[in-house]
Amino acid sequence: MERRHFLRQATLVSIGGILIPSTFLTSCRKETLLEDVKYEGKVLIIGAGAAGLYAAYILKSKGINFQILEASANYGGRLGKLNTFANFPIDLGAQWLHGKNSILGDLITKSNTQITIDESVTKYWFNNQLVTTLPQNIDIFNGEDLPDISYSDYALQKGLGKEYKYIIENIAGDQGASASRLSVFGNNQEEENWSSGDDDFKFQETFYDLIDQEIAGEVKDKIVLNTIVSKIDYSQAEIILTDSTNNYFKADKVIITVPIPILKSGDIEFTPPLPKEKTTAFSKIGMDAGMKVFLKFSTKFYDQNIVGGTICAAYADESIGKVQNDNVLLAFVMGEQAEYLTALANNDAITKALLQELDMMYNGQATQSFISSHVQNWTTNPFIKGAYSYSKIGIGDARKIACQSINQKVYFAGEAMNTNGHHQTVHGAVETGYREVINLLNDIQK
Amino acid sequence: MKRILILKIFIISCISASSQGLKIDASYEYLYAYQLDKVIQTYNFSRPFEKEKQPLLSNGINTSISYIFKNEKQIKHGLNFAYSFFQSAAENENFNNNLNLHFINLGYFIHYENTEKWKGFYSDLIFSGTSSIMLRNVNGEPYVYDNINAKAFGIGGTVRLKLGYSSAWKNNRCFSPFIAFAYTPYLYAPNNERIINQTKGLTSNNWTAIGMVQIGLTFHIRKQEQ
Repeated sequence: MERRHFLRQATLVSIGGILIPSTFLTSCRKETLLEDVKYEGKVLIIGAGAAGLYAAYILKSKGINFQILEASANYGGRLGKLNTFANFPIDLGAQWLHGKNSILGDLITKSNTQITIDESVTKYWFNNQLVTTLPQNIDIFNGEDLPDISYSDYALQKGLGKEYKYIIENIAGDQGASASRLSVFGNNQEEENWSSGDDDFKFQETFYDLIDQEIAGEVKDKIVLNTIVSKIDYSQAEIILTDSTNNYFKADKVIITVPIPILKSGDIEFTPPLPKEKTTAFSKIGMDAGMKVFLKFSTKFYDQNIVGGTICAAYADESIGKVQNDNVLLAFVMGEQAEYLTALANNDAITKALLQELDMMYNGQATQSFISSHVQNWTTNPFIKGAYSYSKIGIGDARKIACQSINQKVYFAGEAMNTNGHHQTVHGAVETGYREVINLLNDIQK
Repeated sequence: MKRILILKIFIISCISASSQGLKIDASYEYLYAYQLDKVIQTYNFSRPFEKEKQPLLSNGINTSISYIFKNEKQIKHGLNFAYSFFQSAAENENFNNNLNLHFINLGYFIHYENTEKWKGFYSDLIFSGTSSIMLRNVNGEPYVYDNINAKAFGIGGTVRLKLGYSSAWKNNRCFSPFIAFAYTPYLYAPNNERIINQTKGLTSNNWTAIGMVQIGLTFHIRKQEQ
């Protein structure tokens, strides 16, 4: 055989030899996880918040039979919308997209949803005056070798005196907690895997609209509202759920997405009872009181962000990122401050307390130009009971234990069950929604 | 023209230095990385709103240049520089998502050729340091968040076995087809998941092992024998 002939043949055989197997190998490698898994059983999802809705959305895409049981009269969980208060729509619950690098960032691009970076400027209420800078650095809660003590204690250790109390309260409030309860070490440790980015975005419409139109719209017909699940019996092969009016629902698998206070307070009775390890883990995950008060004024006398109030540590101009510009100021009240306001007689008393504080900051202009208010108290909502989960002192691996499934039947999702740094966020809740469907289907395969 | 001139000067100076010759490869490369597959599979699973699924990173191209040190023995050795590129592209309405994975290998190789027994056949065993970068493009633009381009770096080591057959030398040049098998036992790339699935620690480890098969053509340039 001539050398040239041999070379040509060898080349052709080699190309064929590699391309055919590579095409075959590529086709063997599935593009989608659990692509071939078929499941004929029924899945019940408890809670129609972001996690529950997304779990349902995934189940629907897999052709799996499911139903969502929602305790309240609306779906959305800690997402809500107020249309009539101002000339722009207002988010009653989650309103900032914390970082664009997330599954919701992709959904926003795909759906052409308009968002803008919140670049509002902050002023601090410090020593009874509004200032643009603070004498001492307050960026002390990130780094290595942080102690498992509260934000307030750590701030004192670092020389931030009592005059910084409500500045620190605002930093902890961002995490949904009181500064005296949030762990410096725990929070830093849990956010190690944070991967969605640091920019905060606001929606031209609302966060609620995104979830409603792009996710809930796909599964609305499977939501049963006003169904308060009070018992879950998973002792037999078939799981039986009982609601507050003694209606029964049967399922093969259950995904629980209720907020952590509902699990902690025993509002749902489990048969057999949940393992001690699990209930202990629930108790280590914090969730403090939280409320949003929207204050409408005739003039814009206030700054874009006001941090450090003694009644409310964080005020924000609600019109930022919106097309219309009614003068609406948001009082974002968390932790002990929310507990204090919740204890007042009624919404008028809450509004009055906030106006008094703003009057002090802006020489009485708040009361002069006040038009109306809307109080959204998530703490008094019996199906929510707070703002969002945070890292209590001593939290350790509580979230990892809390989210483990039981007997391959009962699964746990929701922002508090997010173990990859995205707890407290809507995209974090969404991630747990699809994660638990993956776990459920993996269990079926076993 | 300038680039070609620089390349020519480089090649000539390499050959006229202490080298025996140069080898320039171009090849098709097939990649398999379990952890990367898992992240892309999770991405596809979790996004029913994307009708066209993101293909797995598997088909790519490779090019390399090897510098052979002067040596009269059957076993020669030298330095090797290689570049590989893999792409996964999915087009959806308002959302065209591209994942681009680049590898650069820099290593040492041992070349074995038994001219008496296996005339024309040779083998190269290459040990190289590997670095990778994963980039994402959305709708034709580099994906940016927090004002920086999203990227994930990786670092590891690769061993590659290359088997080839050289055709007849003409004017100290020849072509040879080859097949190669590469294995990267450990590529530390903690942020690949962050780029692909926008999560970290949810679906995969922060490292992956990679297997590759290559088929291609080598162009040999040998220094003029005295």
